[in-house]
Amino acid sequence: MFSQKLVQQSVRRLAVQQPLAIQSMVRASPAAATLGLQKRAVTSTAAEENSILAKQRMNRPVSPHLAIYRPQIGWVASGLNRVTGVALSGTLYLWATAYLASPALGWHVESASMVAAMGALPFAAKVLLKTIMALPFTFHSFNGLRHLMWDLGRGLSNNVIIKSGWTVVGVSVASALALAFV
Amino acid sequence: MASFARSSLLRQSLATTRSSLLRQNVGVSQVVAFHASARKQILPPLPQKIEGTMNDPVPTPAPHPVEGSYHWTFERAVSVGLIPLTIAPFAAGSLNPVMDAVLCTLLVAHSHVGFQAAIIDYFRPHRVPKFSSFCHWLLRAFTLTTAVGLYEFETNDVGVTEALRRIWNA
Amino acid sequence: MASLRTTSRLFAASRPLFRPASFARTYATVDSNVSETPKMKTFKIYRWNPDTPTEKPTMQSYELDLNKTGPMMLDALIRIKNELDPTLTFRRSCREGICGSCAMNIDGVNTLACLCRIPTETTKESRIYPLPHTYVVKDLVPDLTLFYKQYKSIKPYLQRDTPTADGLENRQSPEDRRKLDGLYECILCACCSTSCPSYWWNQEEYLGPAILLQSYRWLVDSRDEKTAERKAALDNSMSVYRCHTILNCTRTCPKGLNPGRAIAETKKMLAA
Repeated sequence: MFSQKLVQQSVRRLAVQQPLAIQSMVRASPAAATLGLQKRAVTSTAAEENSILAKQRMNRPVSPHLAIYRPQIGWVASGLNRVTGVALSGTLYLWATAYLASPALGWHVESASMVAAMGALPFAAKVLLKTIMALPFTFHSFNGLRHLMWDLGRGLSNNVIIKSGWTVVGVSVASALALAFV
Repeated sequence: MASFARSSLLRQSLATTRSSLLRQNVGVSQVVAFHASARKQILPPLPQKIEGTMNDPVPTPAPHPVEGSYHWTFERAVSVGLIPLTIAPFAAGSLNPVMDAVLCTLLVAHSHVGFQAAIIDYFRPHRVPKFSSFCHWLLRAFTLTTAVGLYEFETNDVGVTEALRRIWNA
Repeated sequence: MASLRTTSRLFAASRPLFRPASFARTYATVDSNVSETPKMKTFKIYRWNPDTPTEKPTMQSYELDLNKTGPMMLDALIRIKNELDPTLTFRRSCREGICGSCAMNIDGVNTLACLCRIPTETTKESRIYPLPHTYVVKDLVPDLTLFYKQYKSIKPYLQRDTPTADGLENRQSPEDRRKLDGLYECILCACCSTSCPSYWWNQEEYLGPAILLQSYRWLVDSRDEKTAERKAALDNSMSVYRCHTILNCTRTCPKGLNPGRAIAETKKMLAA
């Protein structure tokens, strides 16, 4: 294998530096010339080729995406914006629908009973529950402002995207904690 | 010239010898099963299928501004409208019934558009045709019950902002 | 090191013709006469072979001495292919960030291998994947057929019916020309499009950041007369409006361009 590589490399170098020499070498050796002229008959048409390609495509895997992409504030915050939005709107939808159905089902989701339920909780549970409710709201609100800024075509440089992203995280956590202790 | 013609053959023989060498040489190269992908994927993409040849452009959809630019502008207008209505209760304690009703309307519109975007993003008609339309109808039904439920709450109860204030201070 | 490399290249010409193969070097390799302690770094590379389609993609590890490797990721890949495993497959051409062939996901971020420095800390391994959520032809080679078909669909050429006043070239003021800065430099490497989650989920219908940047390049061109038609072609729920300003595109562009801004401006143009 080693000698093969040596011969290949030296011939290649010869071909680059002295192209005439290698031409004479090829002419001198009929064995080499026949080796260089491997003929292969064309057996496939364009349609056949396309069907082969289509078959190959069916086998192809999809390269990994979400799991391997580096977590960056830009797309993580955007993803959280959707998650918090769905959580907040989902809560509103479920609660409002439950309120509509409550007379028929005998549930108590009107304001008075919810206030009573909240009032019955211990302090720590109140703070915890309020934080869980306030954090999605503050994050979605402040990040929403960021999205509106981008829709105006402002703050679209990498520097601002990263800085405003972390600012939103900080401000929303701080304001959620402030709301929880009100 | 001979060496060029045989290079592919040579490369193959090289490949086999090299990989056997590598296998002996522990630490230089090792194959690990690929773990980064999820064990069970949610809605894995379908096998690749390309319509037409390399030189055909993908079809351009017909213009539909109601789903396009008007929709986008409407969504932004609703979002911008929500800003003062979100700040006001923190400043004033709770809103008067009219402002409360406006807030609820905008919230329902904003939620509906948001859910709609999520359904369009994740459940495409060509991928899951039945589930996609099911989601859209479910969303419409829920938006309707939510709107009616909020109307009931506004007319029979204390209003959303006042209720939230009372729960928060409970 | 630079002077060392040029001198070694000069000497290469005067070396004997039949020198032993073990001394062969390529540009991906650095001749280091200084005896340093080897800086071995592990590279984990995504492998999939179309000849054995039933086998799952795997991650293969290679170890290289960074002292003997060029500074860029592409140097490492070329060295692996030359010296460790000739079956490793990847695209590369210009090695200077102008052809866009070697776009891939390196350490979790889409970039061009030729513009990406190898991180010097050797304790951490480097992971190299093909562009995310693309159909893999082999190893690090993705199929970009759909991407090019989408590019063709936006008619990336000057469209006008009226001839110019002097019958010569289509002139443009310096201000109008300046609007094309930051747009014409795009090399269509697909780094931004394949970093976009919206494009991951909806690449059949959503055009993706790269194509939308090109589309905007023709929308703002003062010489183009089909702006209304171009806008109408985008005015539907899928072509542009799957963009939710996630802005991975702007973050990842190896040429420092801003597809996110181009899409935001396109949306403003469509809304007006």
